[in-house]
Amino acid sequence: MKPRIALMMGVTALLGTGLAAADEISPELRVASRHVAVTVCASCHGPQGRSISPKFPNLAGQHPAYLVAQLNNFRAHTRGDPDALGYMWGMAAPLDDDLIGALAAYYGAQRPAGGRSPDAAATARGKEIYANGVAADGIPPCGACHGPAAAGTDQYPRLAGQSTEYLLKQLRSFQSNLRNVAVMHGVASGLKTGEMTDVAAYLQSLGP
Amino acid sequence: MKHAMLKSTASTFLLAAAGFAWIPPAHAVPSFARQTGMACEACHTVYPELNHFGRIFKANGYILDNIKPVRDIEATKNEMLALTGLPPISLMVQVSESWLSKTLPEGSGIDGKAQNGTVAFPQQISLFYAGKIAPRVGAFIQMTYGNDSGTFGMDNADIRYADNTVLPNEQSLIYGISLNNNPTVQDLWNSTPAFGFPFAGSNANVSPLAATQIDGALGQDVAGLTVYAMWKEALFGEVGVYRSAKQGAANPITGAAGPLDGTISNVISGSAPYFRVAYEHQWGRNSLEAGVYGADFKLYPGGAPDAPVALTGPSNQFKDFAQDFQYQFIASEHLFTLAGTRIHETMNLDASFAAEATANAKNDLTTMRFWGTYYFKRKVGGTIAYFSTTGSTDAGLYAAGESPPGVITSANGSPDTRGWMAELNYMPWLNTKLSLQYTGYNKFNGGNTNYDGFGRNASDNDTTYALVWFAY
Repeated sequence: MKPRIALMMGVTALLGTGLAAADEISPELRVASRHVAVTVCASCHGPQGRSISPKFPNLAGQHPAYLVAQLNNFRAHTRGDPDALGYMWGMAAPLDDDLIGALAAYYGAQRPAGGRSPDAAATARGKEIYANGVAADGIPPCGACHGPAAAGTDQYPRLAGQSTEYLLKQLRSFQSNLRNVAVMHGVASGLKTGEMTDVAAYLQSLGP
Repeated sequence: MKHAMLKSTASTFLLAAAGFAWIPPAHAVPSFARQTGMACEACHTVYPELNHFGRIFKANGYILDNIKPVRDIEATKNEMLALTGLPPISLMVQVSESWLSKTLPEGSGIDGKAQNGTVAFPQQISLFYAGKIAPRVGAFIQMTYGNDSGTFGMDNADIRYADNTVLPNEQSLIYGISLNNNPTVQDLWNSTPAFGFPFAGSNANVSPLAATQIDGALGQDVAGLTVYAMWKEALFGEVGVYRSAKQGAANPITGAAGPLDGTISNVISGSAPYFRVAYEHQWGRNSLEAGVYGADFKLYPGGAPDAPVALTGPSNQFKDFAQDFQYQFIASEHLFTLAGTRIHETMNLDASFAAEATANAKNDLTTMRFWGTYYFKRKVGGTIAYFSTTGSTDAGLYAAGESPPGVITSANGSPDTRGWMAELNYMPWLNTKLSLQYTGYNKFNGGNTNYDGFGRNASDNDTTYALVWFAY
């Protein structure tokens, strides 16, 4: 699949069912989604979506459109990376479109997780790759889509503050096509293991 | 019953219960996975050990599901029925072989030797109803066939009502009621007796004489009603009471069930209070729990069918107070658990002492168990464990046999037993476990050599145990 077509499909998926403007969510739905977030999602994704374990992604401050797309993918079994199968296919199954939209709005409104930098050298190398790509291998700058501060946009997820472990797992899933996103498959396929680790370390270091 | 040669009737009944403490529980329920649509690893490190999410799933009453219910509503939209679309049924099979370091003597105690190497096919087959019953109501109910009893009967059960709410500052509060039949079977951590290590073990070994009451002695013979709450998925508190609910016991007059009378042993006087407090802290891939639990059991010793002892008057009191901890490190490749418990029991044996069945009116008993488990990618792993039980010497309670074969007696009246375990596990699938387990004793029923007075050494009871364990 050509990257451009894949990109269009991705945007279409992001704007699919479930996405609602925050002011369209009824008070009842707002309460219900907060209840689900605090009493179910928080067990893995942490209080207000700031995950305690690096295995699970931070959801705080993530763009609602991206969250809606992913929950729809889990529900439709079209996202097939290992933790999607093992955890989220089951968790997303009982959610309806309204609740998905309200959950996405809840997490989108939370303060993003703070950055931590365990390895300064890797962080510096990762910053270079993130900003400029790897020209020799045809790797484009990550920031071209995810934004200069990795804050993401409606179309592309926020990566700032995500854990190295989670990001590496996703990059490998893009590489192997277990998580089937053509654009990211193209980017991740050209990245060496060390480069992926460096970029992930840099992204983890970025604060809100 | 194994303890038939003990001379003291009251001791026999006290110890008969204790003997069950070393029949390990076994639990693994793919019906939860079918109900939630989530893989085993969502709730377990490796079954049956729970991770944080598994503990919260249990506290919430086993009700999280994604199966479309069969429903009925009133015209006012009140929900009357929300039946799970599929019954949450699981089957578990254990096949094993056990070898003792030294063959047991013949039952007669004089000539010959028993065969060594006990094949158990099956050791245990269990049927589970484990999952949602109705909104806010769930159950974990296990029925087991065991090759030792040769019968199919009640095993562990935990039926819950649970709900949760969001407190100010978006803090969660889970609360519920548990109706269960084994103190600590309802607990969330694997450091307490009912779900502690060893998760499976030989039933063809030799069990030490002494165990505390909360350490499984009353399992399946009591009914407990407890209430609990958990704040921020961290601070857990529970209180409740246990009453005797004997299985397979009939009233001698009516031939029907109950009321219990003096022909039944170890009947709880009234209700026995139970409590549990625990705190779990999570950071990164780590979690650490520390807690206390305990119970105060007043038991009538009872008597044999031909020599009943009325269920009134003095009783034997067992006050159990225990500490426990559990540390877990869970990463994609490496999983590590350190856990342990120390149970101290204070016995006031008024009834048995008055009947001259024990040498002392007061005794103490302390059991400690600590273990460390490692798994690589949930595929290959193992556990090293240390255990010890020490307590007051009481020649009535831990009696010497008058004649061979001994084996389950104590020549010096001491309950002291100490040893270690090593277990290797291979998981070809997440619901299939192949285990090789070794138990070594440095001390058994008070002695290292000739502990029974008939020539048997503690190390003669060392046990090698091979197990195939799967559930689906």
